[in-house]
Amino acid sequence: MIANLDAYQILAISAAVMAMLMLGTTHLKGGLSFYMVHTILVAAQAVFMGGMRTQLHEYLVPILYAGFKGVGVPIFLTYVMKKIEVDDDAGTYLPPPLCLHIGILMLGVSYLLASHMPGLVAASDAHIGAMAAMSMLFTGMLLMLTRKLAISQLIGFLVMENGIYVFACSHTHGMPMLVEMGILLDVLVGVIAAGLLSNSIKRSFEHIDVTKLTDLKG
Amino acid sequence: MSAATNYVAFILTALTALLLPPLLLATIRKTKARMQNRLGTRLFQPYYDLLKFLAKAETVSSTTSWVFRSTAVANLVTVILIAFLTPWLSYGPHFRDASDLFLIVYLFGLARFMTVLAALDAGSVFGGFGASREVTLALLIEPGVVLALASLACVAHTSSLGSIMSYSLVDNPVLYTQPIMWLLAGSGLFLASVAELSRMPVDDPTTHLELTMVHEAMILENSGRNLALTEYTHVLKMAVLLGLSGQCFLHSVADLWSANDLVRGAASIAIIFALTLVIALMESLIVKLQWRKVPEFISYAVGMSLLCFLIAVGVR
Repeated sequence: MIANLDAYQILAISAAVMAMLMLGTTHLKGGLSFYMVHTILVAAQAVFMGGMRTQLHEYLVPILYAGFKGVGVPIFLTYVMKKIEVDDDAGTYLPPPLCLHIGILMLGVSYLLASHMPGLVAASDAHIGAMAAMSMLFTGMLLMLTRKLAISQLIGFLVMENGIYVFACSHTHGMPMLVEMGILLDVLVGVIAAGLLSNSIKRSFEHIDVTKLTDLKG
Repeated sequence: MSAATNYVAFILTALTALLLPPLLLATIRKTKARMQNRLGTRLFQPYYDLLKFLAKAETVSSTTSWVFRSTAVANLVTVILIAFLTPWLSYGPHFRDASDLFLIVYLFGLARFMTVLAALDAGSVFGGFGASREVTLALLIEPGVVLALASLACVAHTSSLGSIMSYSLVDNPVLYTQPIMWLLAGSGLFLASVAELSRMPVDDPTTHLELTMVHEAMILENSGRNLALTEYTHVLKMAVLLGLSGQCFLHSVADLWSANDLVRGAASIAIIFALTLVIALMESLIVKLQWRKVPEFISYAVGMSLLCFLIAVGVR
C-alpha cells in the first residue's frame, strides 16, 4: 500500500512529517519555517484531494489558506517575536529530541488508528489523509503540552487546526466555501488576538513563560 | 561480470579510494572560500599538505605508550578495510558476503575507539575532553546509522550491505518500489555523517579553540607522518560515509537500477561531490550549534531513520 502513493498522499504525509520536524527544535524561527512549509503542504493536499478540481472556489480556498495561514501568520508571529524579543523557547517539559521521536512513533500509532477506527471512509486516500491528520493532531498536542512559551503553544494550536482541516478534507472532498472561509477567519483572528495578548503579557510581566502565569493571582 | 572487467573495476575502486578523498576536502575548502569572497588555496592543496606531513619529522610526547604509536596505522587499516567492504562506489561484488552492516558499524566503532584511546594516552587536557565529547556524539549517532541500515536490511531480508545496495531486482524486489524509504535512509545517514565527520554545525574542523573542538582536540598530539595518516584516514572515512548515504539516494532513482556499472560508478562519484557541496554550503550558511544543542541536530538524523523504520515495518 505504501508502495504506490499518489500526489495527494505524498503531500499529506509530508505535511505531517514537516509538522513533526517542528518538535525537534526550540529555535522559534526554525520552527516557524517548518510551520510555513507544513501549512503550504496542507493547502496543496486540499487541491489534490479527490483528483482534479473543477470549480474556482475549490482552488480559491487552498490559496487563501496558504496565503493567510502559511505566509501571513508566520510573518505576523515573526513580527511579534521581534517585538517581544524572544527567539528561543525558554524551556520544555520534555527534551526536544525525545519529543521528535515520540511524534514519529505517534505517526505509527495514527496509522494503526486510521486502519482500525470504525466509521472512517474506506478509500485509500481517505485512510492516508486520516493518518496524516491524526498525526498532526498528536504533533500539535505534543507542542502545546511540552512547550512553555506562549508562541510555541500558539503554533501547536495552529498545527492541530491544520490536522482537523486535513481530516475534514480527506473525508468530505471539500466543505462549502463559506464554512472554510469562516474557519480561516476565526483562526486568523485567534492568532492576531493571541499575538497581541502575548505582547501585552510580555509588557506587564517581562516574559511569556506560561508556567509562571500564576503570578497573575498576585 | 567477467574476470577481466572485475579486475578493472577493482583497480578503479582502489584508485578512487586512494585519490578521491583529499579532493573532497579541497572541494569543501574551495567552496567555503568562494562563498566568503576569498580566492582560497589551490585545488590540490590537501595532497601537497599530506606529502608535506609525510616528509616532516615527528614529535611524540614522552608520556605516550604503544597505543598512541599504533593508532594512526590501525585506524587507516580499519577504514581501508571498510572502504573495500562497503559498496560506497556502487561496487562490492568481491566481498558481498563480508559486508555485513553490523560489521561495518562496529568497524567504524573500532576506529573511533582507537582514536579515543590515543587521545587519552597522551594525557593532555584537550585529548581528554575531545575524547569525552566524541564518545557522547557516537552514542547519539549510532542509533540513527544502525536504524537506517537495519530498516533497509529488514526489507531486503539480508544484513549484507553488498546485497542491499546491489541495484539488483533479484536480490531485493521490494526495495525497488520504495524510493521514499531510500531517501529517508539517505538523509538519516547523511545527517549522521555530518556529525560523525565533525563538520559544522556539530563541530568546526577549522578552529583550534577549546570550546569548539571535538575531532581536532583528539588528534592534537599527532604530528608528521602520524598526522598525515590521521588526516588521510579522516578524509577516506568522509568519502565512505558520504558514499554510503549517496548510494541510498541513488537507489531511489529507478533508472539507475537498470543502468550499467560505469554509469552507476560515475553517478556515485557525482553524488559524493554533490553531498560535499551541501556540506560546504551548510558550513558557509549555518553557524555552529552550541554543544548542548547538538542532540537536537542529531535527533533529526535519528528521526529520519525512525521514519524509514516505520515504512520498513509497514512493507515487510
